[in-house]
Amino acid sequence: MFEARLVSSGTLKKVLDAIKDLLNEASFDCSDTGIQLQAMDSSHVSLVSLSLRADGFDKYRCDRNLTMGMNLASMTKILKCANNDDTVTVKAQDDADCVTFVFESKKQEKISDYEMKLMNLDQEHLGIPETDFSCVIHMPSGEFSRICRDLSQFGESVIISCTKEGVRFSSSGDIGSANIKLAQTNNIDKEEETVSIDLQEPVTLTFACQYLNSFTKATPLSNRVSLSMSANVPLVVEYEIPDLGHIRYYLAPKIEEDEN
Amino acid sequence: MGILGLSKLLLDIAPHAIKEHEIKTYFGRKVAIDASMSLYQFLIAVRSEGAQLTTVDGETTSHLMGTFYRTIRLVEHGIKPVYVFDGKPPKLKSGELNKRAERREEAQKALEKATEAGDATEMEKFNRRLVKVTSEHTKEAKHLLSLMGIPYIEAPCEAEAQCAAMVRAGKVFATATEDMDALTFGSNVLLRHLTVSEARKLPIQEFHLDKVLEGLKLSHKEFIDLCILLGCDYTDSIRGIGPKRAIDLITQHKSIENILDNIDKSKYSPPEDWNFEGARELFITPEVADPETIELKWNDPDEEGLVKYLCGDKQFNEERIRNGAKKLLKARGTSTQGRLDGFFKVLSTTPAKRKVEDKKDGANKRGKGSGGARGRGRPK
Repeated sequence: MFEARLVSSGTLKKVLDAIKDLLNEASFDCSDTGIQLQAMDSSHVSLVSLSLRADGFDKYRCDRNLTMGMNLASMTKILKCANNDDTVTVKAQDDADCVTFVFESKKQEKISDYEMKLMNLDQEHLGIPETDFSCVIHMPSGEFSRICRDLSQFGESVIISCTKEGVRFSSSGDIGSANIKLAQTNNIDKEEETVSIDLQEPVTLTFACQYLNSFTKATPLSNRVSLSMSANVPLVVEYEIPDLGHIRYYLAPKIEEDEN
Repeated sequence: MGILGLSKLLLDIAPHAIKEHEIKTYFGRKVAIDASMSLYQFLIAVRSEGAQLTTVDGETTSHLMGTFYRTIRLVEHGIKPVYVFDGKPPKLKSGELNKRAERREEAQKALEKATEAGDATEMEKFNRRLVKVTSEHTKEAKHLLSLMGIPYIEAPCEAEAQCAAMVRAGKVFATATEDMDALTFGSNVLLRHLTVSEARKLPIQEFHLDKVLEGLKLSHKEFIDLCILLGCDYTDSIRGIGPKRAIDLITQHKSIENILDNIDKSKYSPPEDWNFEGARELFITPEVADPETIELKWNDPDEEGLVKYLCGDKQFNEERIRNGAKKLLKARGTSTQGRLDGFFKVLSTTPAKRKVEDKKDGANKRGKGSGGARGRGRPK
């Protein structure tokens, strides 16, 4: 028996919105510690790693480890049927071939349940090595989202270069070029608006805008985002989900043509 | 011609080994293309009103048209193609080649008959059967490729074997051909439908040799014997043994020698002087150039050269050729997107349990809703 309950279905909606751009379907691995999801997009350029801790739920029960393959478009349809302040409960039997979503309105006067068929999915578990990053940037998630959106008008890729002075995002294309520089700030009053850089070594990497824009769909989950970079390894974009877990995105950098 | 019925057999027994992807997921990959096969494909398929494209003098240009536009399509998707041409055919193939010549003669006769009768569809049918890639075609294609800045290699012997050797050496990601014997030669990854027309919208089929062997529960050596039993280009197979029986026999007896000791020879008589050992040897140690000595170099296209070559005698449209050359140049300028596969190790794969369930409804719905990534973990 698996059962997980969240007071606000809005959180679950946001989580789904944060992954459904990149993935069409995904396997949710449920264990007694929580729910994990790890999947690459179809072209194996980016990877989503979602972790929701058991203690972040209002009620959580998982008797046996369970993997639920879900079609995210179908799941979106179901979650559209819930109001943001509805309580949501996700239920499944052991070895079930379907999952049930129960939505309860605030005053308990309306209870609806939706059953969705599960899918059998090919699964690849990737080992992600622990990396000491050359630089880690913490910044407001809204700011990051805005930068990605603005720069994607200019070109297909964004160059992120991080030095001890600050971080620079730049892009160029047919119409011209764009540069955005962010300096480190120390605003003690408004901690969530600070930009901080933890730097071992300056790094410059190029990434595809399209993927970054998909990552920023997680912005509603958290007002902070961290970007971790090292030369020639994937970028990690992490959003903490308050009291519940985190969502991490990995993105392979663009590689300059070698001399061949 | 490849291996008779192998792809069908794999589809039945080892469906996990076959994945379907869209062409755009292959960006940044280096792919070895079996040139002789694709030229043949172009000669057959690139036609206008049933006839091959020709210059005023009647010289065929279908192969050039195909090579030019389909290569551009690959390059535009970020794929780095390298064409591999056949060298001299192996001695063992002479039987097969003789058969093909015979068939061509028959087709020629049938064509004459059809022409007399004035049957247009029959004429076209036999006309296609007469198609042959000549050394002139190959020469022209090579010249075109060098103008386009695309590398090509001349294999000492069979092109598929050379491709396979390059895949094994890690020089290229996959072999692109329609012939399944690239797998028999040991190419880890085989792509089909890479060079077919875009209009047909075929997804690319990706075969993985390790998954094939896993699915068939065979070693590579046993797999080679299976291919010989199914029917390859280098020797005959046993009459009366079809795909089903071939896989059963190999699973049970492990090698052709053992099978010969165990089957009822009066019922299934092996061909006279059956040289399966020679064929096996050819598959295991084919004559190939050492992949380490091969240097692959992609260059900028020579726009003026292309225009001069294609628009002069060959009468291609100059504007289109210039456009094509620009596309090639543009694709070279952009940096390539890296992949995560190189950074993270796959720890374990759990293939979906392909239960026979009626989940088709869900799949159809998804197809309509999101045209994005297909092929991974489709419900079955």
